[in-house]
Amino acid sequence: MTDSRKRILALFYCRNIPESSETDRQAIETAHGEQIRLFPLPCSGRLEPMHLLRALEEVADAAYLITCPEGACRYFEGNRRAKMRVERTREILAAIGLEPERAGIVMGSKEAPRTLAQHAAEILDKISQMGPSPALKRPANETFACEKRREWL
Amino acid sequence: MITAEQKPMDEIRGMLAPYKRILALGCGSCVAECAAGGEKETAMLASALRMAARINEEDILIQEKTVDRQCVKEFIIPLDDIVEEYDAILSLGCGAGVQAVSEMYQEIPVIPALNTEFLGETRDQGYWVENCLGCGDCMLYYFGGICPLARCSKQILNGPCGGSVDGRCEVNPDIPCAWQMIIDRLTRFGALHRLEEIYPPKDWARKQGSGPRKIIREDQQR
Repeated sequence: MTDSRKRILALFYCRNIPESSETDRQAIETAHGEQIRLFPLPCSGRLEPMHLLRALEEVADAAYLITCPEGACRYFEGNRRAKMRVERTREILAAIGLEPERAGIVMGSKEAPRTLAQHAAEILDKISQMGPSPALKRPANETFACEKRREWL
Repeated sequence: MITAEQKPMDEIRGMLAPYKRILALGCGSCVAECAAGGEKETAMLASALRMAARINEEDILIQEKTVDRQCVKEFIIPLDDIVEEYDAILSLGCGAGVQAVSEMYQEIPVIPALNTEFLGETRDQGYWVENCLGCGDCMLYYFGGICPLARCSKQILNGPCGGSVDGRCEVNPDIPCAWQMIIDRLTRFGALHRLEEIYPPKDWARKQGSGPRKIIREDQQR
């Protein structure tokens, strides 16, 4: 059976990349609708593997991060750390049998800077080639899927 | 602190296979410091396990909680109200934590998610090194604060062996020669004469020779 549902992208991005203001974010959300969930970060170094994993678990077929160009991080090494954390996330995905390509990083280019909207369109196009994420699928008999989370959890 | 690393995912999933309701239990002390079993790592592992279960169409509940210390009963007690809801506890504590939780909840299997490694120092971010064996008879005074048992590849108490090159260990050039460091430090303190003494072989009875060790302090007891 073919899944005709459009792939959903969780896109984390550094607020310092070109044209990534709130207005730009809203415009992208309007253009792509439910297909994209945007998560602005003060610096890509704020990203933890947990953010990508939770996105893949809860809402997205793929979770990507856009950073400033290498060597151009306002906080010196935020994007370098982010790169390693995305790599760590991909290792975890491989270990559970999910394609590592469902998590990714796109580092900006100093020579040919791209806007947030351009990055988003390119990544959406890339993930549209992927199948639906089996990690998002909830089997009909998943008894516990709707169990309410405890206050302390 | 006690250092640990997460076990391979396949091993963890294999141990969890018989169970349907699992509590992933983190520890906010040593294993949080070494980024193996703290709140963040517990959330990551639980999330990965939930996704793995979905991929394999398994109907499993995995929830997570982190206590401040798994090796102290007072910190485990708050679990009393909830543990009965689970078939198993997946502990991200060190070996001491796993066993303390097991002791508290005799009817529930407690499964280790980590391999406990060594008593370590955080040398840098993401870099931990072993420099204490917990021998029970500390000799750091005599060796200028450098333990030859933990940091010399040959564990010799009357060194140096003579094999180091440019201050690096001949067994493992990645590490500095512990005896070079001992001599440098004792020289700096004008205490090189401490090495004139011949130190007898270590009495390991203080470490493991009499079974599990314990410390009893009556002044600290109720």
